[in-house]
Amino acid sequence: MASTTQLPTRTAKSRKSLWQKFWSSTNERMGYLFILPSLTHIILFLFIPLGFSLFLSFTDWRGTNIYNAPWVGLDNYEFMMGDRRFWNAMQNSAYYTLLSVPLGMAISLGVAVVMNQKLRGTYFFRTLFFMPVISSWVAVSVIWITILDPQAGILNYLLTSIGLPSVNWLGDPSTAMPSIVIIAIWKGLGFQMIIWLAGLQAVPEVLYEAASIDGANSWQKFRSITIPLLAPTSFFLFVTGVIGSFQVFSPVYVITGGGPRGATDVAVHRIYLRAFEGFDMGYASAQAWVLFSIIFVLTLVQFWVRRRRGEETLF
Amino acid sequence: MLSKRTSQAGRLIGLMLIVISAFTVFAQDDAVTLDVIGLTVPPDEIGTPLDISRQEFITDFHEANPTITINAIEAPPEFDTQIIIDLAAGTAPDVWYQGSGNLPNLVAAEGILDVSVCLDLVPELTLDRFDPNFLSIHQQGDALWGLPDGGTPMVMYYNPETFANAGIDEPSMDWTWDDFLTTMQELTLDSAGRNRLDPEFDEENIVQYGFRVRNFLFEWIYFVWQNGGDVISPDGTTVDGYLNSPETIEAITFLRDLVLEYGVAPSPSALDQLNQQFGFLTAFLQGDVAMFARGHWEMVGLRNNEIYTEDRVNIVANPRNVEAATVIYESGWVLNAALADDPVRLEAACTLIEGLTDVQFQSSKVISGLEISANVEAAAAAVEVSEYPEISERFVMALADGRADYATRFAGWAVLVEEPINLMMENILAGGDIQEEVDITVEEINRELERANR
Repeated sequence: MASTTQLPTRTAKSRKSLWQKFWSSTNERMGYLFILPSLTHIILFLFIPLGFSLFLSFTDWRGTNIYNAPWVGLDNYEFMMGDRRFWNAMQNSAYYTLLSVPLGMAISLGVAVVMNQKLRGTYFFRTLFFMPVISSWVAVSVIWITILDPQAGILNYLLTSIGLPSVNWLGDPSTAMPSIVIIAIWKGLGFQMIIWLAGLQAVPEVLYEAASIDGANSWQKFRSITIPLLAPTSFFLFVTGVIGSFQVFSPVYVITGGGPRGATDVAVHRIYLRAFEGFDMGYASAQAWVLFSIIFVLTLVQFWVRRRRGEETLF
Repeated sequence: MLSKRTSQAGRLIGLMLIVISAFTVFAQDDAVTLDVIGLTVPPDEIGTPLDISRQEFITDFHEANPTITINAIEAPPEFDTQIIIDLAAGTAPDVWYQGSGNLPNLVAAEGILDVSVCLDLVPELTLDRFDPNFLSIHQQGDALWGLPDGGTPMVMYYNPETFANAGIDEPSMDWTWDDFLTTMQELTLDSAGRNRLDPEFDEENIVQYGFRVRNFLFEWIYFVWQNGGDVISPDGTTVDGYLNSPETIEAITFLRDLVLEYGVAPSPSALDQLNQQFGFLTAFLQGDVAMFARGHWEMVGLRNNEIYTEDRVNIVANPRNVEAATVIYESGWVLNAALADDPVRLEAACTLIEGLTDVQFQSSKVISGLEISANVEAAAAAVEVSEYPEISERFVMALADGRADYATRFAGWAVLVEEPINLMMENILAGGDIQEEVDITVEEINRELERANR
């Protein structure tokens, strides 16, 4: 008996186009379609420029035609090792970071604690504190240049009215960087306050109630409950603060131009001068990559310290 | 039937489109629109005589050259940086007004054209129309990187009222360093009217300083030249033996001493306070500082100042020591290197820069007061029609001792050389040790030059 094999018939249902196949597949594949616009954006405007900048750091590109850029290998990095001005700028960036990150966090935490109270007008003041965040650096700089004016500035007026000597805030190398830090803290206060507020509002109320029953005062509650439970928020603000501080540029560019006597000449300002005033794109790219590496290592160290202290289990 | 008619109509329309397109292509073959930066004014200067003269030029030029249209574009902020980026992106204008301090960077970037080619394309364009001092800035070997438009030597502005207050004569054009120092000492007055040479002079109550000394190299490099020194070798490869030469250190010491030893110039912090309290030009016009070094462009700021009067401003050449010298700052017209690939646009651009440097347009923009025209005929005529003929004439005289700014010769000058020297002088004026500061700066700059010239 001859056996007959029936070939599978192709129905209209099984003849799917590529498009249909794609859409009828798993959600995972569809997911790729959804992220495609963002992925394209990231590849075009992040990864390609990053790769290009890394390539440039090994060239001596000073012109307009990239095909003429001579390949110099590690020369730019080698030259940088002895670049006194660059390391001075890096030192200034570190000084700025050391001042601005802890001070900014402490002040914004204080403000957030006050703004977290159920008081009248809290929302108005939250808005008020946030306003500098959305203001332009140029506008903020003009305001602060006026405030810090040694002759007509309100800050010196207040100092002299209580018998203190007036200070040449932006003209004296010893006070210029602290002045920039004050301005930057004032401008970033609102953002940090909002983050702290979110952290504060996530602390369970029952812990405070239990502590109150145990007889703890406000300071003890703050030290033993609020601060430990704000560890994830502190870590976030610390990490982003360090990254942002090493990248400080706008206030220096607008207010002091790196002076007086190089006291506020920070790393990004130096990179900017190299790239866009000296048209030394290859060397500026190398400087940018060294700055990136320093920030990256510092961030890794922060994560390592957190892990060593066992804080990662908290969040 | 209908489809046959439709087909015929279609063919007819197609034919017409081809004819129109061809006509358009041929008609546009000679028509050129040039993108030009440097023929507009800032919004707050619209309607001023300078704006009107530029608008008239655009109209007249188009009438004389109907196939060339000028598309005047406003200069973007941070122009010297922006133009390099535009060149890299292929969006730079065809012709633009360029401060000559950026010429070496543009040449190194192969962004501008050697305009010698224009001398053949436009016979009316001859180089004898230009002041040789200005023209030489654009000449490098056989190449001609653009055409000069105008510029200024650095001179010394003085307020004649301050000389009257001190009871001394105004300086002469051939004065020396010794005359200069004595004059500064006599001009520096305390509240009781005593000058610096008076043993009773009150340090705490100075009401009038003699001179303004600042750290910026462009305001003092000619003191070094006047003393027979220099800051860099002629080939731009080293500052060793130049910036640290005895002549240069002597000149730097002389300037430092004006502030720290003789006390005839305000200290940086005192100057800062004057600037912030009044604005420097107001301080000058009201007699707080008797003299300062600057170029022709400062006339605009002075004349726009509320307390300006003609008898409060005059100029004199820089004092001489071993020799007379000053520095010249200049701007000119350059062509985009990409024009070399388009002969029609190139000829149009050459015609345009011929018109822009011609005596007619150059004379019409004299009213700006910003600079001395590079066109010799226009510059001479300007002295005749100037509202301040004595000052204009002195500017032209000072030009004779002018030397080109080094930024016009060495690419990357501003960052590699000028900036470290500015910082060096800032430290010296703040009391830093001269030899130590100079040595550090020489080492730093030479390291940079070695890398740049490898």
